[in-house]
Amino acid sequence: MNSTRVAIASALAAALVLPAATSQAQGNMEKCYGIAKAGKNDCQTAKSSCAGTSKKDAQADAWVSVPKGACEKIVGGKLTAS
Amino acid sequence: MLALRDLQAAFAALLEGEDQPGLFDAIVSDTISAPARLRVHRHHVAQSLTGALAATFPTVQAIAGEAFFRTMAMEFVAEELPVQPVLAEYGEGFPAFVSGYGPAATLAYLGDMARLDWALNLAYHTPMVPRLAAPDLAGLPADRLFELKLGLAAGSTLVRSPWPIDRIWQAAQPEAPEGMVSLEDGPAAVLVLRRPDDAAFASLETSEAAFVSALAGGTSLGEAAEAAFSVEPAFDPSTAFARLLALEAFAAAQHEA
Repeated sequence: MNSTRVAIASALAAALVLPAATSQAQGNMEKCYGIAKAGKNDCQTAKSSCAGTSKKDAQADAWVSVPKGACEKIVGGKLTAS
Repeated sequence: MLALRDLQAAFAALLEGEDQPGLFDAIVSDTISAPARLRVHRHHVAQSLTGALAATFPTVQAIAGEAFFRTMAMEFVAEELPVQPVLAEYGEGFPAFVSGYGPAATLAYLGDMARLDWALNLAYHTPMVPRLAAPDLAGLPADRLFELKLGLAAGSTLVRSPWPIDRIWQAAQPEAPEGMVSLEDGPAAVLVLRRPDDAAFASLETSEAAFVSALAGGTSLGEAAEAAFSVEPAFDPSTAFARLLALEAFAAAQHEA
């Protein structure tokens, strides 16, 4: 092993005994509750769909061509010149 | 009367949005006419599948808004019906669709948010399996450690983007604090992980992402560290490796025979 490899190997070995590792990992970690709460394979979707089912076909709203959500909080991304 | 094969093909085409008058004779027509029955069914399928996509891609929906998302999702549904019965497994092609969706072109990062949502969905539906912990490697000589190849735990996905996807994700949460995210903050890399009760992600430094990417590609620990050094000379293998172990990012080691 050359000296660089020895240094890397030692650094990796040092990770196994780093006391601060756990607390460090907790930082910068995002918990995602969003997907944990939705039950997707139950009948809920079917029910809500059937409840108000009209005999009209589902039509995509052709006029909905402008995103209107949290994207308003994200600046610098709009590529269109207005 | 249609042959079964033709009936099924016509029915599939109907669900994809094509009108199929040839089906009318095969459908019961009494108080509700056959064309109306078919429309109700198509409506039901479209609503169920767009609902499933909304549940799988909540960040995309939050960013684009419900009406926009529904329109986009319905176009995807018409293009790509499920090929499996589990709704949570539906939508693998959605991120690519979003990236190429014309009306969303103003939101260049939206496809990457869909990739993040999909990775979280995969992680969440992956069974929790044993993970590698630091003590598992105790006593391993340093040179063996250099040569060691570690696989990411099932459900772990590295998502890299030219945009600050971690901060955009935060801004899209229902309880997000007021404040703007600038796209000039990018790029970002996140490691999506299966955890006991949920799915989560950790933001990685560029060098850490290079390290993880190399490991996920089957490179040894030492060579992955070298790859990370090549993108960031100040890369710290101790901190990065310790952090990944603490995150339980690696699959439990295979016991050697």
